[in-house]
Amino acid sequence: MAEIFGKTPVPGSGEMGKRTLLEHLFTIAALVSAVLTGAVFVFLAVFAIPLIKNGLFFQLLFSNWLPQQHLYGIYPMLAASTMLASLSLALSFPVSLFTSFFITAVAPRQLRMVLLYIVRFMTGIPTVVYSFAALFLLVPLMRAILGRGSGMSILTAVPVLSLLIAPTMIIFFVNSFQRIPSSTILAADSLGATPVQKVLYVIVPQAWPGILNGLLLGLGRAIGDTMVSLMLAGNSPTVPQSLADSARTLTAHIGLVLAFDFDSMEFKSVFVSGLVLYVSTAIIMSIFRITSTISTGRRK
Amino acid sequence: MKKTKIRTRNICFQYHKKQILKNISVEFPKGEISAIAGPSGSGKSSFLIVLNRLWEEIDGVNVTGKVEIELNGQMQDIYSGRIDIRQLRRKVSIVFQQPNPLPMSIFKNVAFPLNLAGLKDRERISREVESALKKVHLWDEVKDRLKEDGRLLSGGQQQRLCLARTLVMRPEVLLLDEPTASLDARTAEAIEQLLIQLKSRCTIVMVTHYQDQIQRIADSHFEVVNGNLINR
Repeated sequence: MAEIFGKTPVPGSGEMGKRTLLEHLFTIAALVSAVLTGAVFVFLAVFAIPLIKNGLFFQLLFSNWLPQQHLYGIYPMLAASTMLASLSLALSFPVSLFTSFFITAVAPRQLRMVLLYIVRFMTGIPTVVYSFAALFLLVPLMRAILGRGSGMSILTAVPVLSLLIAPTMIIFFVNSFQRIPSSTILAADSLGATPVQKVLYVIVPQAWPGILNGLLLGLGRAIGDTMVSLMLAGNSPTVPQSLADSARTLTAHIGLVLAFDFDSMEFKSVFVSGLVLYVSTAIIMSIFRITSTISTGRRK
Repeated sequence: MKKTKIRTRNICFQYHKKQILKNISVEFPKGEISAIAGPSGSGKSSFLIVLNRLWEEIDGVNVTGKVEIELNGQMQDIYSGRIDIRQLRRKVSIVFQQPNPLPMSIFKNVAFPLNLAGLKDRERISREVESALKKVHLWDEVKDRLKEDGRLLSGGQQQRLCLARTLVMRPEVLLLDEPTASLDARTAEAIEQLLIQLKSRCTIVMVTHYQDQIQRIADSHFEVVNGNLINR
């Protein structure tokens, strides 16, 4: 057994000391990450508490953004964020899932390698590059198609945001598919399953917790992205009535009003926006975690 | 004179450019059990997956040569473009050394090949599943828990489940990679008897390490030596 698993370090030996040091380093790293995440929440909550006490929190949450009428609500931004994130996910999720199926079950090995390389490369491209390219390519096109406005709208931002979140989801999906034992895939092949049958009956039933988690990651990225919405959605702080309307997301709003005076209501709305983003992400994350834990428990 | 069921010509098998099998030209008679022996890692299992083109699903494998199998009464080159590879794998079915039940219930594991083939009649599927499970002597052990996950069965039960899953396809050629390795002596004997019964409608090519098993049930005996298949 010792040959297979290696020797157990002797207490007091140098190897044991190294291991203990490493264990401490890992623990510190994990604690720092957890504490920092918690600290962000505390920071937002501390600045939001006076607003909550004064009843301003919910006023800011549910009213419109009309500074000239002393209304500093983030409701339009909340609506825009929800609309943009859900539409981008609705467009990106099926494309990412089918691309992952293609890479895993259909594409020949060489093509699979090329596609994975491209997808991994795409994750490294800064969002500002996507947005910048779309500003010159997509915005004039949308202006021509819509026939009004600047061409910056929800409809302009959605495809770019979809493209932005797709590589993350594809990599996550492909990784979860590749964790399925190769013997299981080979069993389906040996029974004469087509690629589609393999996907439906073997891959999806085993990988759906991974698919859900990939979806969560995509949603998180879509809600959290700033640059695409800032550069392409138009930044109008009104509730969008149609996809062709200009809109301002919560993240873009934070970026735009940071320059205001610290004591101004405009600035205070930043904390409400941050808290809403934080809590909504935490809720989505919890729902998906619970779902995948339940599914994993059932499968065991 | 015995009728040939499988004929190979100059089969070479490479795995990541390493030569495993060299110029294998061999014939397996119809309705017989042909046993292949040889040391571990000599390429016995590799040879089996050449016969139903399953190697094409494994990265790093390259095979050259020709394989002809009598299918639907006609000798056919299985590497020709006219062959439907999925039909081929249903007609020339394999049971692996390591049991590999699919992530579904015991019932669905056996019914899966029937579903893949487009069979919709539920009563017929139930009958076929029961019959296949009885053939492999598993029915009595699982009849009350057919909805349980097939992966929860013991190793020996999983192996018989995989054999049942293959038999339900009514293959013309059965490729078996150490089919009784994970079975107790009594069940192994029952499976050997089943294989003898199957000979009348199925040609069997079996990899085995057990000399006594070869003597008990095999009609012909081959051995892999230095990448070649030699008739003993």
